[in-house]
Amino acid sequence: MTSTSGTTPHLIEVDGLSASYGRVAALKPVDLRVEEGEFVTILGPNGAGKTTLLRAISRLIACNGQVKFKGQDISKLNTHQLAKLGIIMVQEGRGLFGEMSVYENLLLGAYGVGNQRDEVERRFTQVFTLFPRLRERSSQAASSMSGGEQQMLAVGRALMAGPKLLMLDEPSLGLAPKVAAGILDTLGELNRNGLGILLVEQKAPLALKLARRVYVLSSGSVRAELPAQEIKSHHDLAKFYFH
Amino acid sequence: MPSVVELVQSLVNGVGIGLVYGLIAIGFCVIYNASGIVNFAQGVFVMLGGMFAYSFLVTLKWPLALAAAASIIVVAGIGVLVQIFIIRPMWERKAPMFAIILATLAVQLLIEQIVILTMGDQPRTYPEFTLGGPLKLGPIAIGYQLFWVLGCGALMVVLLQLFFNKTRVGRALRACSQNREAAALLGIPVGGMLMLSFALSAGLGAAAGILITPTQYTAYSVGAPFGVNGFISAIIGGFGSAPAALAGGILLGVVQSAAIVVFGAGYKNVIALTVLLIVLLFFPKGLFGGLAKKH
Ligand SMILES: Nc1ncnc2c1ncn2[C@@H]1O[C@H](COP(=O)(O)OP(=O)(O)OP(=O)(O)O)[C@@H](O)[C@H]1O
Ligand SMILES: [Mg+2]
Repeated sequence: MTSTSGTTPHLIEVDGLSASYGRVAALKPVDLRVEEGEFVTILGPNGAGKTTLLRAISRLIACNGQVKFKGQDISKLNTHQLAKLGIIMVQEGRGLFGEMSVYENLLLGAYGVGNQRDEVERRFTQVFTLFPRLRERSSQAASSMSGGEQQMLAVGRALMAGPKLLMLDEPSLGLAPKVAAGILDTLGELNRNGLGILLVEQKAPLALKLARRVYVLSSGSVRAELPAQEIKSHHDLAKFYFH
Repeated sequence: MPSVVELVQSLVNGVGIGLVYGLIAIGFCVIYNASGIVNFAQGVFVMLGGMFAYSFLVTLKWPLALAAAASIIVVAGIGVLVQIFIIRPMWERKAPMFAIILATLAVQLLIEQIVILTMGDQPRTYPEFTLGGPLKLGPIAIGYQLFWVLGCGALMVVLLQLFFNKTRVGRALRACSQNREAAALLGIPVGGMLMLSFALSAGLGAAAGILITPTQYTAYSVGAPFGVNGFISAIIGGFGSAPAALAGGILLGVVQSAAIVVFGAGYKNVIALTVLLIVLLFFPKGLFGGLAKKH
C-alpha cells in the first residue's frame, strides 16, 4: 500500500483542523490522515497540542476545518454520532466510570449495539480473550483497579464499541514500562487484525516499533510526517520538537 | 409540652410528607447528576401534577388511575418542553451554569403565572384515593392516603433503582452523571439523556403532587415550598443515589413535623433550614457523601 490509496478513500482525513482556547491557538491548521488498517503515531513534547488534536477530531471541543471518514464529510457530526460511525477515542486519563463495575463499564462500551444480546456477548468474549484480567475483575469498581488494569479496561471498553478507528491519548501514561509495553503490544495485535489506530504517545521507542507512519507535532503544528522506520533514535526526533 | 401521642402522630405524618420530599429530591438529583443543573422549577412539577390530576379527576370525571397516569405523562411532557425550549438552547451555547439555573427559576415563575391565568388562584383538592379512615391504632390516627403515599413512593423508588441499575438507558444516564465526555465518546447521546432526565424528574414531581394533594390542597403557589424542601432533602442526601435522596426527604419530613408539634407551625421553615445547616456543618458532602465530588 502506498500513501496515496488510489480509489479507496482514507480511513480518516483531517484537513486544516484548528482549535483554540480563548485567544490561544492550541492547534494551528493541521492536516493528517490514517489509511484503512494503518497504525499511525503522533509524537510531540508536552503542550504540543496532541490531546487538543484528538479532542477536536472527536468533537469534544469546538474546531474549524474538515474531517472525512471513509470519504464522508463528518465535520458536522457530534461526538456520539462519530462514535456510532466507529470513531472511538480512549481519553487521556482513561475516562472510566469510576463508581461502576468493570462489567458495567464494558457494557456501556457496547451502548451502540442496542439490545442485540448475541453481539454484546461476542464482544465480551473478544475483550476477555485479549484481557483475561478484566474477566477476573469484572465485579470490581473501576476506580479501585490498578493503573494498568484501568488502562486495559479503557481499551477494552473502547473495543466493546466496535471501533473502525481507535484513537488513544497516551495510554502508557503513569504505567510501569512492562505494563505499558503490554498494552501497546495488544494495540499492535489489534492493528494486525485490521484495526486502524491513531496513537498519541510520548514514549517514542515503544510507539515507533508499532507505527507505520509518524507525525511530529509541536506548538500546535505538524513539524514532520515520516515513515516510522526512518526515525533511528530519539535524537532524530529532537530536531523537530524545537525550532 | 406535647404528649407522646402527639409526637408519634407527628412522626407518622412526617414520614408521609418526607416521602413526598424524597420523591422531589430524587427529581433534583436525576437532573443534577445528568447535567450539573439544579432545576429550581422542580416544585412547579409537583404543583402541576396536582392541578392536572384535579382537572382530569374532578372536572373531566376520569377514573383515578387514568387521571393520575395522564397527569404524570402531561407533566413529563412539560418537563421535556422546558428542556427543549429553554435549557437546551442555553446548554448548546455554553451558557454559564448559574444562568441556566436562574432560567429554571424563571420557568417556575412563568408556569405559576400561566396557572393563575388559566386556573385562577383558588386552592383545589380532591378526595383521598381510598375513602374512609383514618386507621386508628390506639390514639394514633393514620389517614389512608398515607398508605398510598408510602406504597406508591416505595414502588417508584424500587422501579427507579431497577431502571438505573438494570436497563441500558438507565445505566447510560448514570454514565453521563459520572463522566459526560466518556459517555459521549461511547456513542451515548448526552443531549437526549438530558431530555430524558427532565421527563423523569417532572414525572416524579407530578407523582408526588398527585399523592399529596388529597391531604392538603394544590394551588399555583404550592410549588415553591415543595421545591425548597425537596432541594434541602437532596442536599441532606448528598445529591447522590435515589435511596439517599429519599432518606434525606424522610429525615427532613420527620424532623419538620416533630418541630411543628414542639415549637409550632410558624417554625416549619426555620427548622428545615436549621436541619440543612446542621447537616452541612457536620457532613459537608451530605449525609451519604455524594455531594462535591461531581462537577
Ligand atoms: N482547557 C484549556 N484551556 C486553556 N488552554 C489549554 C486547555 N487545554 C490545553 N490548553 C493549552 O493548549 C496547548 C495544547 O495542550 P494539549 O493538552 O493539547 O497538549 P498535549 O500535546 O496533549 O500535551 P501533553 O503531552 O502534556 O498531554 C497547551 O499549551 C495547553 O496549555
Ligand atoms: Mg495530552
